[in-house]
Amino acid sequence: MPHPLRDRYCIVGVGETEYSQHSGRSTRAMAVEAVKKAMDDAGLTPKDVDGLLSYHMGDSTPSTAVASDLGIRPNFFMDVSGGGSSTEALIGLAMGAIEVGMCHTVAIYRSMNGYSQVRIGGTGVRAAAPLSGSALLTRPYGLISPLQQFAFAFTRHMMEYGTTNEQLAMVKVVHSRHASANPKAFKKNPVSVEDVLNSRWIVKPVAHLLDCCLETDNATCIIVTSAERARTLRQRPIYIMAVQGRGTRPFPDNPWAEAPITRIGGTYIAPRIFELAGVGPEDVDITGCYDAFTFTVVLQFEAYGFCKVGEGGHYVSSGIIALGGKRPNNTSGGHLCEGYTHGMNMVIENVRQLRGQADDYCPGWREGRHTYHYGPGGCRQVKDPEIAMNMGWGTPGYGSALILRR
Amino acid sequence: MPTYEYRGLVLHLPELDQEHWGYFEAARRHQLVVKRCLDCNLLRWEPGPSCPFCASLRWEWAPVSGKGEIYSYQIVYHSVHPGFRDWVPYPIVLVELDEQRGIPTPGYGLRIAANLVDAQFRPEREERVAIGARVQVVFMDLPNGLTLPQFALSGEPPRGRVWRHAG
Repeated sequence: MPHPLRDRYCIVGVGETEYSQHSGRSTRAMAVEAVKKAMDDAGLTPKDVDGLLSYHMGDSTPSTAVASDLGIRPNFFMDVSGGGSSTEALIGLAMGAIEVGMCHTVAIYRSMNGYSQVRIGGTGVRAAAPLSGSALLTRPYGLISPLQQFAFAFTRHMMEYGTTNEQLAMVKVVHSRHASANPKAFKKNPVSVEDVLNSRWIVKPVAHLLDCCLETDNATCIIVTSAERARTLRQRPIYIMAVQGRGTRPFPDNPWAEAPITRIGGTYIAPRIFELAGVGPEDVDITGCYDAFTFTVVLQFEAYGFCKVGEGGHYVSSGIIALGGKRPNNTSGGHLCEGYTHGMNMVIENVRQLRGQADDYCPGWREGRHTYHYGPGGCRQVKDPEIAMNMGWGTPGYGSALILRR
Repeated sequence: MPTYEYRGLVLHLPELDQEHWGYFEAARRHQLVVKRCLDCNLLRWEPGPSCPFCASLRWEWAPVSGKGEIYSYQIVYHSVHPGFRDWVPYPIVLVELDEQRGIPTPGYGLRIAANLVDAQFRPEREERVAIGARVQVVFMDLPNGLTLPQFALSGEPPRGRVWRHAG
């Protein structure tokens, strides 16, 4: 018997600001723009939205400010702490809030000046903060940035499975080609494996500069409502088959304790989300995998069963994840090339893909007319995708996942 | 509230923070300690307030040998914090201690992150860092009174497979 909430809720509106490294604006101004654009996309007015959810790392604008600015009066709002894996989890939280009757239509946003103000990479104000608690056991050793926190698992993956830097580089190569067909991508230049390998080491042996995502300024928004209401709105409804998050592996704050350390939070989420959705990895047409680093993609494809454990390097370099391949990943360019907004842009991209509305260089993209010629600077619309999956990475310790259909 | 400065980092060690206060107090005596559960007797790392295996709140500090092997490593080329710029490229190692390997579950281990340093407490050379290499704890006494546990190659023959990145 299908899960009672399967296909009961839809994503009806998406919107974002420009991806830049110099927004020159407050997170409040950007959040308001993103929410307004998502409402416009759905054909909703502020009076039609009565739920607001946001996630942040002490670097954003609260829902009450956004509500005040736009004339939204929420029956339910919440600003939760967190970055990666939050998008998917909050889509589930929105469904729950609607299901229990607290509200009926929820706008979820993330607004961050992730380059010009508070940088996730660990520099600036984050680096200057005093250390106490468990940070005393890592930061005095120069173990500070997210990449450094994840690197032990990545190195161990290379040792256990022979994953190579060339394979990792292919993730960036593929995503950069996708971004070249995305007018709003911050980095649109296609790169080669050699470009990645010739970029400087950040943390050896797991990441060169081009294996690392961008830091950008931007705001993004997704609107969720019931399937009944969705069918009366402007866009083709995109149905939420299942959502799961956040879930953890054992010892989520200390994921190095238990072997194999290459096993991530997604391993524990995968069986649940596929059971809820009633589909398997083989049924998924496009993926949006959290590409904070090229290695996070490899580990997540293994965790969710798109390939066998240890074969992620082969999976990402085989052509499967490229446009024109069997199951394209991050067709917008993702965090590596489009911009960094803690996972929300990859969900927005999958919604547009399922609608047939990828905003590429095809002259008729607004009306859904695409050439399906996937050269640089051309089309990036996948032909008639039915099912899309997003995988949200928190750390190796936890994550979230989402399966959508048209 | 003791506060220490190290490489431009500000380290706070409030006395109420028993998890870390006791750990650094032992380090000052050049002793590496972990927590032992007084109910199920298992050791744990990190030194949290509760036993992750039986949820007991009763614990004591237990000295360990400080011997083990490198379970994973990274060589930091781009220092995020300016205080480490004179150290790049520097290794951070994840050391699996000899105590309690594979207990209570296969593959569980007491794994501690620190720098791999040479006899002068400088970053160990990259070509000497390898998974499987044997190490021992050493104590880096800072002029401000704080002692940081670090690891150094012990010279013991490796017990299993040794691996390092070819690059």
